Amino acid sequence: MTHTANDARDAIDRREALRRAALLLGGALAAPTIAGVLAGCEARRVPDSAWAPRALTPAQAELVATVAEHILPETDTPGARAVGVHRFIDAMLAESYPTEQRQRFLAGLGDVDARAQRTCGRPFLRCGAAEQRALLEQLDREAFGATGGTPDEPDVPFMRTMKELTLLGYYTSEIGATRELHNAPVPGRFEGCVPLAQVGRTWAV
Amino acid sequence: MGRVNEPYDAIVVGSGITGGWAAKELCEHGLRTLVLERGRHVEHGKDYITEWLQPWQFPLRGRGDQELYERDYPIQSKNYAFGEATRHFFVNDREHAYVTPDDKPFRWIRGYQLGGRSLIWGRLCWRWSDLDFAANLRDGHGVDWPIRYHDLAPWYGHVERFIGVSGERLGLAHLPDGQFLPPWEMNCAEGLVRQGIERAFRGRRMTVARVANLPRAHNGRGPCQARNQCARGCSYGGYFSSLSATLPAARQTGKLTVVTDAIVHSVSYDERSNRAVGVRVIDAHTKATREYAGQLIFLCASTLATAQILLNSKTARFPTGLANSSGELGHNLMDHISKAGARGVVPGLLDKYVYGRRPTGTYIPRFRNLGVQG
Repeated sequence: MTHTANDARDAIDRREALRRAALLLGGALAAPTIAGVLAGCEARRVPDSAWAPRALTPAQAELVATVAEHILPETDTPGARAVGVHRFIDAMLAESYPTEQRQRFLAGLGDVDARAQRTCGRPFLRCGAAEQRALLEQLDREAFGATGGTPDEPDVPFMRTMKELTLLGYYTSEIGATRELHNAPVPGRFEGCVPLAQVGRTWAV
Repeated sequence: MGRVNEPYDAIVVGSGITGGWAAKELCEHGLRTLVLERGRHVEHGKDYITEWLQPWQFPLRGRGDQELYERDYPIQSKNYAFGEATRHFFVNDREHAYVTPDDKPFRWIRGYQLGGRSLIWGRLCWRWSDLDFAANLRDGHGVDWPIRYHDLAPWYGHVERFIGVSGERLGLAHLPDGQFLPPWEMNCAEGLVRQGIERAFRGRRMTVARVANLPRAHNGRGPCQARNQCARGCSYGGYFSSLSATLPAARQTGKLTVVTDAIVHSVSYDERSNRAVGVRVIDAHTKATREYAGQLIFLCASTLATAQILLNSKTARFPTGLANSSGELGHNLMDHISKAGARGVVPGLLDKYVYGRRPTGTYIPRFRNLGVQG
Protein backbone atom coordinates (compact mmCIF):
# COMPACT_ATOMS: atom_id res chain seq x y z
CA MET A 1 0.00 0.00 0.00
CA THR A 2 1.29 3.44 -0.82
CA HIS A 3 0.40 6.50 1.18
CA THR A 4 0.04 8.87 -1.75
CA ALA A 5 -2.79 11.31 -1.37
CA ASN A 6 -5.62 10.25 -3.65
CA ASP A 7 -9.16 11.44 -4.03
CA ALA A 8 -9.30 14.62 -2.01
CA ARG A 9 -13.03 14.32 -1.50
CA ASP A 10 -12.64 10.80 -0.27
CA ALA A 11 -9.73 11.80 1.93
CA ILE A 12 -11.93 14.45 3.49
CA ASP A 13 -14.63 11.84 4.10
CA ARG A 14 -12.08 9.61 5.72
CA ARG A 15 -10.70 12.43 7.82
CA GLU A 16 -14.22 13.17 8.94
CA ALA A 17 -14.72 9.52 9.87
CA LEU A 18 -11.48 9.60 11.81
CA ARG A 19 -12.51 12.75 13.61
CA ARG A 20 -15.84 11.23 14.60
CA ALA A 21 -14.23 8.02 15.79
CA ALA A 22 -11.79 10.04 17.86
CA LEU A 23 -14.66 11.96 19.42
CA LEU A 24 -16.53 8.76 20.21
CA LEU A 25 -13.44 7.30 21.80
CA GLY A 26 -12.77 10.44 23.78
CA GLY A 27 -9.40 11.32 22.31
CA ALA A 28 -6.94 10.84 19.52
CA LEU A 29 -6.47 7.78 17.34
CA ALA A 30 -3.39 5.65 16.80
CA ALA A 31 -1.07 6.84 14.04
CA PRO A 32 -1.18 3.62 11.98
CA THR A 33 -4.97 3.67 12.08
CA ILE A 34 -5.03 7.20 10.75
CA ALA A 35 -2.48 6.39 8.05
CA GLY A 36 -4.33 3.26 7.02
CA VAL A 37 -7.72 4.86 6.76
CA LEU A 38 -6.40 7.85 4.81
CA ALA A 39 -4.63 5.49 2.42
CA GLY A 40 -7.86 3.68 1.74
CA CYS A 41 -7.80 0.49 3.79
CA GLU A 42 -11.29 -0.92 3.76
CA ALA A 43 -13.31 -4.06 3.97
CA ARG A 44 -13.04 -5.75 0.60
CA ARG A 45 -16.38 -6.40 -1.04
CA VAL A 46 -16.11 -10.11 -1.65
CA PRO A 47 -18.40 -12.77 -0.24
CA ASP A 48 -17.25 -14.46 2.96
CA SER A 49 -16.77 -17.74 1.12
CA ALA A 50 -14.26 -16.13 -1.22
CA TRP A 51 -12.50 -14.08 1.44
CA ALA A 52 -9.37 -15.20 3.23
CA PRO A 53 -7.69 -13.13 5.93
CA ARG A 54 -4.13 -12.01 5.38
CA ALA A 55 -2.94 -10.85 8.79
CA LEU A 56 -5.27 -12.97 10.90
CA THR A 57 -5.83 -16.70 11.02
CA PRO A 58 -9.40 -17.78 10.20
CA ALA A 59 -9.97 -18.38 13.92
CA GLN A 60 -8.63 -14.94 14.81
CA ALA A 61 -10.82 -13.39 12.10
CA GLU A 62 -13.85 -15.09 13.65
CA LEU A 63 -12.84 -13.79 17.07
CA VAL A 64 -12.48 -10.25 15.68
CA ALA A 65 -15.86 -10.52 13.92
CA THR A 66 -17.50 -11.67 17.14
CA VAL A 67 -15.98 -8.95 19.30
CA ALA A 68 -16.84 -6.32 16.68
CA GLU A 69 -20.44 -7.53 16.62
CA HIS A 70 -20.59 -7.05 20.40
CA ILE A 71 -19.37 -3.48 19.94
CA LEU A 72 -21.77 -2.71 17.08
CA PRO A 73 -24.47 -5.39 17.19
CA GLU A 74 -27.18 -5.95 14.65
CA THR A 75 -30.25 -3.95 15.65
CA ASP A 76 -32.75 -2.60 13.16
CA THR A 77 -29.65 -2.07 11.03
CA PRO A 78 -26.93 -4.59 10.18
CA GLY A 79 -24.14 -5.08 12.68
CA ALA A 80 -20.37 -5.02 12.35
CA ARG A 81 -20.14 -8.60 11.09
CA ALA A 82 -22.60 -8.08 8.25
CA VAL A 83 -20.70 -5.00 7.16
CA GLY A 84 -17.41 -6.90 7.11
CA VAL A 85 -15.62 -4.97 9.83
CA HIS A 86 -13.37 -7.99 10.44
CA ARG A 87 -12.19 -7.78 6.85
CA PHE A 88 -11.45 -4.11 7.28
CA ILE A 89 -9.45 -4.83 10.41
CA ASP A 90 -7.56 -7.63 8.67
CA ALA A 91 -6.72 -5.26 5.80
CA MET A 92 -5.58 -2.58 8.21
CA LEU A 93 -3.38 -5.04 10.07
CA ALA A 94 -1.95 -6.43 6.83
CA GLU A 95 -1.40 -3.17 4.96
CA SER A 96 -1.06 -0.41 7.48
CA TYR A 97 -0.07 -1.52 10.96
CA PRO A 98 3.68 -1.82 11.67
CA THR A 99 4.78 -5.31 12.72
CA GLU A 100 5.13 -4.37 16.35
CA GLN A 101 1.64 -2.97 16.63
CA ARG A 102 0.18 -5.82 14.61
CA GLN A 103 1.82 -8.23 17.04
CA ARG A 104 0.38 -6.28 19.96
CA PHE A 105 -3.09 -6.55 18.47
CA LEU A 106 -2.67 -10.29 17.94
CA ALA A 107 -1.41 -10.62 21.50
CA GLY A 108 -4.52 -8.76 22.62
CA LEU A 109 -6.66 -11.35 20.86
CA GLY A 110 -4.70 -14.05 22.68
CA ASP A 111 -5.37 -12.27 25.96
CA VAL A 112 -9.10 -12.28 25.22
CA ASP A 113 -8.99 -16.07 24.99
CA ALA A 114 -6.79 -16.38 28.06
CA ARG A 115 -9.22 -14.28 30.09
CA ALA A 116 -12.11 -16.34 28.74
CA GLN A 117 -10.40 -19.50 29.98
CA ARG A 118 -10.18 -17.95 33.43
CA THR A 119 -13.70 -16.55 33.59
CA CYS A 120 -15.78 -19.14 31.76
CA GLY A 121 -13.37 -22.05 31.31
CA ARG A 122 -13.42 -22.03 27.50
CA PRO A 123 -12.01 -20.01 24.59
CA PHE A 124 -13.93 -16.78 24.02
CA LEU A 125 -15.86 -18.03 21.01
CA ARG A 126 -17.26 -20.93 22.99
CA CYS A 127 -18.37 -18.80 25.93
CA GLY A 128 -21.99 -17.74 26.16
CA ALA A 129 -23.00 -14.35 24.82
CA ALA A 130 -23.52 -12.93 28.31
CA GLU A 131 -20.11 -14.20 29.43
CA GLN A 132 -18.48 -12.74 26.33
CA ARG A 133 -20.14 -9.44 26.97
CA ALA A 134 -19.08 -9.33 30.62
CA LEU A 135 -15.50 -10.03 29.63
CA LEU A 136 -15.49 -7.28 27.01
CA GLU A 137 -17.04 -4.83 29.44
CA GLN A 138 -14.24 -5.54 31.86
CA LEU A 139 -11.67 -4.98 29.11
CA ASP A 140 -13.46 -1.77 28.20
CA ARG A 141 -13.35 -0.48 31.78
CA GLU A 142 -9.64 -1.19 31.91
CA ALA A 143 -8.97 0.40 28.53
CA PHE A 144 -10.97 3.56 29.11
CA GLY A 145 -10.45 3.86 32.84
CA ALA A 146 -8.47 6.44 34.74
CA THR A 147 -5.14 5.28 33.32
CA GLY A 148 -6.00 6.86 30.00
CA GLY A 149 -2.86 7.17 27.91
CA THR A 150 -2.45 8.28 24.34
CA PRO A 151 -3.12 5.82 21.54
CA ASP A 152 0.48 5.82 20.36
CA GLU A 153 1.95 4.77 23.70
CA PRO A 154 3.37 1.26 23.55
CA ASP A 155 0.95 -0.07 26.16
CA VAL A 156 -2.26 1.14 24.51
CA PRO A 157 -4.91 -1.35 25.59
CA PHE A 158 -6.15 -3.84 23.01
CA MET A 159 -9.76 -2.87 23.54
CA ARG A 160 -9.07 0.70 22.60
CA THR A 161 -7.55 -0.34 19.26
CA MET A 162 -10.34 -2.83 18.69
CA LYS A 163 -13.04 -0.24 19.24
CA GLU A 164 -11.25 2.28 17.11
CA LEU A 165 -10.98 -0.07 14.15
CA THR A 166 -14.54 -1.32 14.55
CA LEU A 167 -16.06 2.15 14.46
CA LEU A 168 -14.02 3.18 11.45
CA GLY A 169 -14.66 0.03 9.47
CA TYR A 170 -18.35 0.30 10.09
CA TYR A 171 -18.98 3.93 9.28
CA THR A 172 -16.86 3.98 6.12
CA SER A 173 -18.82 1.06 4.64
CA GLU A 174 -21.83 1.44 2.38
CA ILE A 175 -24.25 0.08 4.97
CA GLY A 176 -22.74 2.15 7.73
CA ALA A 177 -22.82 5.27 5.60
CA THR A 178 -26.32 4.86 4.19
CA ARG A 179 -28.25 3.28 7.05
CA GLU A 180 -26.59 4.59 10.17
CA LEU A 181 -25.57 8.01 8.92
CA HIS A 182 -27.30 10.83 7.07
CA ASN A 183 -26.55 10.10 3.44
CA ALA A 184 -27.74 12.83 1.08
CA PRO A 185 -25.87 13.03 -2.23
CA VAL A 186 -27.66 16.27 -3.13
CA PRO A 187 -28.33 18.33 0.02
CA GLY A 188 -29.62 21.22 -2.12
CA ARG A 189 -28.65 23.93 0.33
CA PHE A 190 -26.21 24.73 3.12
CA GLU A 191 -27.07 25.96 6.59
CA GLY A 192 -24.11 26.59 8.81
CA CYS A 193 -25.50 26.25 12.29
CA VAL A 194 -28.64 24.19 12.87
CA PRO A 195 -29.86 22.12 15.80
CA LEU A 196 -28.43 18.61 15.62
CA ALA A 197 -31.98 17.28 15.79
CA GLN A 198 -32.74 18.85 12.41
CA VAL A 199 -30.27 16.53 10.69
CA GLY A 200 -30.58 13.77 13.26
CA ARG A 201 -27.60 11.74 12.18
CA THR A 202 -24.05 12.43 11.24
CA TRP A 203 -23.52 13.28 7.56
CA ALA A 204 -22.10 10.32 5.70
CA VAL A 205 -19.87 12.39 3.45
CA MET B 1 -6.86 28.28 -46.90
CA GLY B 2 -10.11 29.43 -48.48
CA ARG B 3 -12.49 28.25 -45.78
CA VAL B 4 -15.97 29.71 -45.80
CA ASN B 5 -15.66 31.31 -42.37
CA GLU B 6 -12.17 32.63 -42.75
CA PRO B 7 -10.64 34.85 -41.88
CA TYR B 8 -12.35 34.85 -38.49
CA ASP B 9 -12.81 38.19 -36.84
CA ALA B 10 -11.05 36.71 -33.83
CA ILE B 11 -9.25 33.52 -32.85
CA VAL B 12 -9.10 32.52 -29.19
CA VAL B 13 -6.53 29.90 -28.24
CA GLY B 14 -7.70 27.94 -25.23
CA SER B 15 -11.12 27.40 -23.66
CA GLY B 16 -10.34 27.66 -19.96
CA ILE B 17 -11.44 30.55 -17.79
CA THR B 18 -9.65 33.19 -19.85
CA GLY B 19 -10.46 31.73 -23.26
CA GLY B 20 -14.11 31.29 -22.36
CA TRP B 21 -14.30 34.91 -21.26
CA ALA B 22 -12.55 36.16 -24.38
CA ALA B 23 -14.96 34.15 -26.53
CA LYS B 24 -18.01 35.52 -24.72
CA GLU B 25 -16.89 39.14 -24.90
CA LEU B 26 -15.82 38.95 -28.53
CA CYS B 27 -18.97 37.14 -29.67
CA GLU B 28 -21.24 39.49 -27.74
CA HIS B 29 -19.53 42.40 -29.49
CA GLY B 30 -20.43 40.85 -32.83
CA LEU B 31 -17.13 39.27 -33.80
CA ARG B 32 -17.14 35.87 -35.51
CA THR B 33 -14.91 34.00 -33.14
CA LEU B 34 -13.03 30.72 -33.40
CA VAL B 35 -12.06 28.98 -30.17
CA LEU B 36 -9.28 26.42 -30.51
CA GLU B 37 -8.91 23.83 -27.76
CA ARG B 38 -6.05 21.33 -27.70
CA GLY B 39 -8.01 18.76 -25.71
CA ARG B 40 -11.13 16.72 -26.25
CA HIS B 41 -14.70 17.92 -26.39
CA VAL B 42 -16.55 17.84 -23.07
CA GLU B 43 -20.28 18.43 -23.01
CA HIS B 44 -21.73 20.17 -19.96
CA GLY B 45 -23.65 17.61 -17.93
CA LYS B 46 -23.48 14.60 -20.20
CA ASP B 47 -19.72 14.19 -19.91
CA TYR B 48 -19.57 14.63 -16.13
CA ILE B 49 -19.34 10.87 -15.93
CA THR B 50 -18.72 10.56 -12.18
CA GLU B 51 -21.12 13.25 -11.02
CA TRP B 52 -23.76 10.91 -9.62
CA LEU B 53 -21.55 8.15 -8.21
CA GLN B 54 -21.55 7.37 -4.50
CA PRO B 55 -18.17 6.77 -2.84
CA TRP B 56 -18.59 3.00 -2.76
CA GLN B 57 -19.49 2.93 -6.47
CA PHE B 58 -15.91 3.65 -7.50
CA PRO B 59 -14.01 0.49 -8.39
CA LEU B 60 -11.35 1.16 -5.78
CA ARG B 61 -13.64 2.98 -3.35
CA GLY B 62 -11.85 6.27 -3.90
CA ARG B 63 -8.43 4.87 -3.17
CA GLY B 64 -7.55 4.84 -6.85
CA ASP B 65 -4.91 2.75 -8.53
CA GLN B 66 -1.79 3.89 -6.72
CA GLU B 67 0.59 2.30 -9.22
CA LEU B 68 -1.17 4.08 -12.06
CA TYR B 69 -0.94 7.39 -10.18
CA GLU B 70 2.79 6.90 -9.59
CA ARG B 71 3.41 6.04 -13.23
CA ASP B 72 1.06 8.36 -15.11
CA TYR B 73 -0.03 11.09 -12.67
CA PRO B 74 2.91 11.78 -10.31
CA ILE B 75 2.33 15.54 -10.61
CA GLN B 76 -1.40 15.83 -11.18
CA SER B 77 -2.16 13.48 -8.30
CA LYS B 78 -0.75 16.08 -5.89
CA ASN B 79 -3.54 18.49 -6.79
CA TYR B 80 -6.27 18.90 -4.22
CA ALA B 81 -8.99 18.00 -6.72
CA PHE B 82 -7.34 14.92 -8.23
CA GLY B 83 -8.79 11.51 -7.51
CA GLU B 84 -10.66 8.54 -8.82
CA ALA B 85 -13.69 10.77 -9.45
CA THR B 86 -11.83 13.47 -11.38
CA ARG B 87 -8.77 11.85 -13.00
CA HIS B 88 -10.25 12.20 -16.50
CA PHE B 89 -10.05 15.99 -16.18
CA PHE B 90 -6.28 15.96 -15.62
CA VAL B 91 -3.49 15.31 -18.13
CA ASN B 92 -1.44 12.17 -18.10
CA ASP B 93 1.98 13.34 -16.88
CA ARG B 94 3.79 10.56 -18.69
CA GLU B 95 2.25 11.53 -22.02
CA HIS B 96 2.85 15.23 -21.39
CA ALA B 97 6.28 15.24 -19.79
CA TYR B 98 8.37 18.31 -19.02
CA VAL B 99 11.62 18.95 -17.19
CA THR B 100 12.63 21.52 -14.59
CA PRO B 101 15.96 22.21 -12.89
CA ASP B 102 16.41 19.92 -9.90
CA ASP B 103 16.36 22.84 -7.50
CA LYS B 104 13.29 24.43 -9.10
CA PRO B 105 10.51 21.89 -9.23
CA PHE B 106 7.17 23.08 -10.53
CA ARG B 107 3.88 21.25 -10.26
CA TRP B 108 2.18 22.07 -13.52
CA ILE B 109 -1.45 21.13 -13.09
CA ARG B 110 -3.19 20.79 -16.45
CA GLY B 111 -6.60 19.90 -17.81
CA TYR B 112 -6.57 19.29 -21.55
CA GLN B 113 -10.26 19.38 -22.44
CA LEU B 114 -12.92 21.86 -23.47
CA GLY B 115 -13.28 24.10 -20.45
CA GLY B 116 -9.70 23.40 -19.39
CA ARG B 117 -9.01 23.86 -15.71
CA SER B 118 -12.20 25.86 -15.21
CA LEU B 119 -13.75 22.45 -14.48
CA ILE B 120 -11.37 21.70 -11.63
CA TRP B 121 -10.39 25.09 -10.25
CA GLY B 122 -10.70 26.03 -6.58
CA ARG B 123 -13.26 28.78 -7.39
CA LEU B 124 -11.89 31.38 -4.95
CA CYS B 125 -12.27 34.94 -6.24
CA TRP B 126 -10.23 37.60 -4.46
CA ARG B 127 -9.69 41.09 -5.78
CA TRP B 128 -6.18 42.44 -5.79
CA SER B 129 -5.65 45.85 -4.22
CA ASP B 130 -3.10 48.63 -4.48
CA LEU B 131 -1.22 46.89 -1.70
CA ASP B 132 -0.49 44.22 -4.32
CA PHE B 133 -0.03 46.52 -7.30
CA ALA B 134 2.45 48.72 -5.44
CA ALA B 135 4.20 46.05 -3.41
CA ASN B 136 7.24 45.62 -5.64
CA LEU B 137 7.58 49.36 -6.17
CA ARG B 138 7.59 49.96 -2.43
CA ASP B 139 10.12 47.18 -1.91
CA GLY B 140 12.27 48.37 -4.79
CA HIS B 141 11.99 45.31 -7.02
CA GLY B 142 11.34 44.94 -10.73
CA VAL B 143 9.26 47.20 -12.93
CA ASP B 144 6.27 49.10 -11.61
CA TRP B 145 2.86 47.79 -12.67
CA PRO B 146 1.40 49.99 -15.41
CA ILE B 147 -2.04 49.85 -13.77
CA ARG B 148 -3.53 50.36 -10.34
CA TYR B 149 -6.59 48.94 -8.62
CA HIS B 150 -8.94 51.66 -9.83
CA ASP B 151 -8.13 50.72 -13.43
CA LEU B 152 -9.19 47.15 -12.81
CA ALA B 153 -12.04 47.59 -10.33
CA PRO B 154 -14.84 48.01 -12.92
CA TRP B 155 -13.65 44.86 -14.71
CA TYR B 156 -13.64 42.86 -11.51
CA GLY B 157 -17.24 43.94 -11.12
CA HIS B 158 -18.04 43.06 -14.72
CA VAL B 159 -16.77 39.51 -14.20
CA GLU B 160 -18.30 39.07 -10.74
CA ARG B 161 -21.73 40.13 -11.91
CA PHE B 162 -21.72 37.48 -14.62
CA ILE B 163 -20.09 34.53 -12.89
CA GLY B 164 -21.68 35.03 -9.48
CA VAL B 165 -19.33 35.33 -6.51
CA SER B 166 -20.62 34.77 -3.03
CA GLY B 167 -18.86 36.68 -0.33
CA GLU B 168 -19.01 38.95 2.65
CA ARG B 169 -18.26 42.66 2.43
CA LEU B 170 -15.49 43.52 4.88
CA GLY B 171 -14.59 47.08 3.93
CA LEU B 172 -10.87 46.31 3.87
CA ALA B 173 -8.80 48.48 1.52
CA HIS B 174 -6.29 45.68 0.95
CA LEU B 175 -8.98 43.06 0.14
CA PRO B 176 -11.53 45.11 -1.79
CA ASP B 177 -15.19 44.12 -1.69
CA GLY B 178 -16.84 43.03 -4.91
CA GLN B 179 -20.29 42.59 -6.44
CA PHE B 180 -21.19 39.76 -4.12
CA LEU B 181 -24.02 37.30 -3.85
CA PRO B 182 -24.80 36.45 -0.22
CA PRO B 183 -21.93 34.73 1.60
CA TRP B 184 -22.03 31.06 2.52
CA GLU B 185 -22.76 30.65 6.19
CA MET B 186 -20.11 29.81 8.73
CA ASN B 187 -20.70 26.78 10.85
CA CYS B 188 -21.24 27.20 14.59
CA ALA B 189 -17.62 26.54 15.46
CA GLU B 190 -16.27 28.89 12.81
CA GLY B 191 -18.58 31.58 14.11
CA LEU B 192 -17.13 31.16 17.60
CA VAL B 193 -13.58 31.31 16.30
CA ARG B 194 -14.37 34.43 14.34
CA GLN B 195 -15.85 36.12 17.39
CA GLY B 196 -12.81 35.16 19.41
CA ILE B 197 -10.37 36.51 16.84
CA GLU B 198 -12.22 39.76 16.37
CA ARG B 199 -12.57 40.29 20.10
CA ALA B 200 -8.93 39.51 20.88
CA PHE B 201 -7.21 41.19 17.94
CA ARG B 202 -8.23 44.65 16.84
CA GLY B 203 -8.46 44.86 13.07
CA ARG B 204 -8.22 41.15 12.40
CA ARG B 205 -11.06 39.50 10.55
CA MET B 206 -12.16 36.04 9.62
CA THR B 207 -14.57 35.50 6.77
CA VAL B 208 -16.00 32.74 4.66
CA ALA B 209 -14.16 32.38 1.37
CA ARG B 210 -15.29 34.43 -1.62
CA VAL B 211 -16.15 31.72 -4.06
CA ALA B 212 -17.77 31.26 -7.48
CA ASN B 213 -20.42 28.87 -6.17
CA LEU B 214 -23.96 30.19 -6.37
CA PRO B 215 -25.87 30.33 -3.07
CA ARG B 216 -28.93 31.16 -5.18
CA ALA B 217 -29.83 30.88 -8.88
CA HIS B 218 -27.97 33.43 -10.95
CA ASN B 219 -28.01 34.22 -14.69
CA GLY B 220 -29.80 30.95 -15.44
CA ARG B 221 -27.43 28.79 -13.45
CA GLY B 222 -27.54 27.06 -10.11
CA PRO B 223 -28.14 27.24 -7.30
CA CYS B 224 -25.21 25.25 -5.95
CA GLN B 225 -26.54 22.05 -4.36
CA ALA B 226 -24.01 22.01 -1.48
CA ARG B 227 -22.52 18.69 -2.54
CA ASN B 228 -18.92 19.90 -2.42
CA GLN B 229 -17.69 17.67 -5.22
CA CYS B 230 -17.39 20.41 -7.84
CA ALA B 231 -14.41 19.00 -9.74
CA ARG B 232 -16.50 16.11 -11.02
CA GLY B 233 -18.46 18.72 -12.99
CA CYS B 234 -21.84 20.14 -11.99
CA SER B 235 -24.95 19.71 -14.13
CA TYR B 236 -26.66 22.43 -12.11
CA GLY B 237 -24.03 24.95 -13.16
CA GLY B 238 -23.63 25.58 -9.45
CA TYR B 239 -20.10 26.84 -9.92
CA PHE B 240 -18.56 28.93 -12.66
CA SER B 241 -16.78 27.18 -15.51
CA SER B 242 -16.38 27.87 -19.21
CA LEU B 243 -18.80 25.03 -19.87
CA SER B 244 -21.49 26.24 -17.48
CA ALA B 245 -21.31 29.94 -18.26
CA THR B 246 -19.08 31.71 -20.77
CA LEU B 247 -19.11 29.29 -23.72
CA PRO B 248 -22.92 28.93 -23.63
CA ALA B 249 -23.19 32.74 -23.61
CA ALA B 250 -20.82 32.94 -26.57
CA ARG B 251 -22.67 30.19 -28.41
CA GLN B 252 -25.98 31.99 -27.94
CA THR B 253 -24.78 34.82 -30.18
CA GLY B 254 -24.43 32.51 -33.17
CA LYS B 255 -20.95 33.89 -33.70
CA LEU B 256 -19.00 31.09 -32.03
CA THR B 257 -17.09 28.25 -33.64
CA VAL B 258 -15.31 25.75 -31.39
CA VAL B 259 -12.69 23.31 -32.67
CA THR B 260 -11.30 20.77 -30.21
CA ASP B 261 -8.26 18.47 -30.52
CA ALA B 262 -6.47 21.37 -32.19
CA ILE B 263 -3.06 22.11 -30.66
CA VAL B 264 -1.88 25.59 -31.55
CA HIS B 265 1.81 25.50 -32.44
CA SER B 266 2.54 29.14 -33.22
CA VAL B 267 1.19 32.46 -34.39
CA SER B 268 1.50 33.29 -38.08
CA TYR B 269 3.12 36.65 -38.71
CA ASP B 270 2.90 38.57 -41.97
CA GLU B 271 6.03 40.59 -42.73
CA ARG B 272 4.38 42.90 -45.23
CA SER B 273 1.50 44.01 -43.05
CA ASN B 274 3.49 43.57 -39.82
CA ARG B 275 0.50 41.81 -38.31
CA ALA B 276 -0.28 38.53 -36.65
CA VAL B 277 -2.62 36.97 -39.17
CA GLY B 278 -3.53 33.57 -37.82
CA VAL B 279 -2.33 30.46 -36.02
CA ARG B 280 -0.74 27.17 -37.02
CA VAL B 281 -2.43 24.11 -35.57
CA ILE B 282 -1.43 20.48 -35.12
CA ASP B 283 -4.30 17.98 -35.08
CA ALA B 284 -4.09 16.07 -31.80
CA HIS B 285 -5.01 12.78 -33.48
CA THR B 286 -3.62 12.85 -37.02
CA LYS B 287 -0.67 15.18 -36.28
CA ALA B 288 -1.55 16.96 -39.52
CA THR B 289 -0.88 20.68 -39.55
CA ARG B 290 -3.21 23.38 -40.73
CA GLU B 291 -3.65 27.09 -40.40
CA TYR B 292 -6.50 29.35 -39.35
CA ALA B 293 -6.64 33.00 -40.32
CA GLY B 294 -8.00 35.71 -38.06
CA GLN B 295 -7.93 39.45 -37.59
CA LEU B 296 -7.41 39.29 -33.85
CA ILE B 297 -5.49 36.60 -31.99
CA PHE B 298 -6.16 36.01 -28.28
CA LEU B 299 -3.70 33.63 -26.62
CA CYS B 300 -5.50 32.21 -23.59
CA ALA B 301 -3.65 28.92 -23.45
CA SER B 302 -2.48 29.30 -19.80
CA THR B 303 0.58 31.18 -18.62
CA LEU B 304 3.07 28.53 -19.67
CA ALA B 305 1.45 27.34 -22.89
CA THR B 306 0.88 30.89 -24.10
CA ALA B 307 4.57 31.65 -23.57
CA GLN B 308 5.39 28.41 -25.37
CA ILE B 309 3.32 29.42 -28.39
CA LEU B 310 4.96 32.84 -28.51
CA LEU B 311 8.45 31.30 -28.22
CA ASN B 312 7.53 28.96 -31.07
CA SER B 313 6.49 31.93 -33.21
CA LYS B 314 9.96 32.72 -34.57
CA THR B 315 10.41 34.73 -37.73
CA ALA B 316 13.18 36.80 -39.28
CA ARG B 317 11.59 39.83 -37.67
CA PHE B 318 11.20 38.07 -34.28
CA PRO B 319 14.09 35.59 -34.08
CA THR B 320 13.56 34.82 -30.38
CA GLY B 321 9.82 34.49 -30.64
CA LEU B 322 6.92 36.87 -30.84
CA ALA B 323 6.64 39.55 -28.15
CA ASN B 324 10.07 38.66 -26.80
CA SER B 325 12.30 41.57 -27.77
CA SER B 326 13.16 41.94 -24.08
CA GLY B 327 14.18 38.29 -23.81
CA GLU B 328 12.01 38.04 -20.71
CA LEU B 329 9.27 35.94 -22.24
CA GLY B 330 8.88 32.70 -20.32
CA HIS B 331 10.87 33.97 -17.35
CA ASN B 332 9.87 35.14 -13.87
CA LEU B 333 7.15 32.58 -13.40
CA MET B 334 5.63 32.60 -9.94
CA ASP B 335 3.04 30.15 -8.63
CA HIS B 336 0.62 30.81 -5.82
CA ILE B 337 0.57 28.89 -2.59
CA SER B 338 -1.88 26.07 -2.09
CA LYS B 339 -3.26 24.14 0.85
CA ALA B 340 -1.90 26.60 3.41
CA GLY B 341 -3.95 26.89 6.55
CA ALA B 342 -4.50 25.93 10.14
CA ARG B 343 -6.69 23.49 12.01
CA GLY B 344 -8.13 23.27 15.44
CA VAL B 345 -10.77 21.63 17.58
CA VAL B 346 -13.56 23.72 19.10
CA PRO B 347 -14.99 22.00 22.16
CA GLY B 348 -18.69 22.00 22.92
CA LEU B 349 -21.53 22.79 20.48
CA LEU B 350 -22.55 19.13 20.59
CA ASP B 351 -26.21 19.98 19.99
CA LYS B 352 -25.39 21.93 16.82
CA TYR B 353 -24.62 20.78 13.31
CA VAL B 354 -24.52 21.78 9.64
CA TYR B 355 -26.99 21.05 6.89
CA GLY B 356 -25.27 20.23 3.60
CA ARG B 357 -21.66 20.41 2.50
CA ARG B 358 -20.38 23.91 1.94
CA PRO B 359 -18.13 24.00 -1.13
CA THR B 360 -15.46 26.19 0.40
CA GLY B 361 -13.67 27.17 3.60
CA THR B 362 -12.86 30.23 5.64
CA TYR B 363 -10.21 32.90 5.25
CA ILE B 364 -8.29 35.27 7.50
CA PRO B 365 -7.31 38.35 5.46
CA ARG B 366 -3.80 39.67 5.76
CA PHE B 367 -3.34 41.74 8.91
CA ARG B 368 0.36 42.53 8.89
CA ASN B 369 2.61 44.68 6.70
CA LEU B 370 -0.29 46.66 5.35
CA GLY B 371 1.92 49.50 4.12
CA VAL B 372 1.10 52.96 5.42
CA GLN B 373 -1.43 51.65 7.87
CA GLY B 374 1.44 49.89 9.56
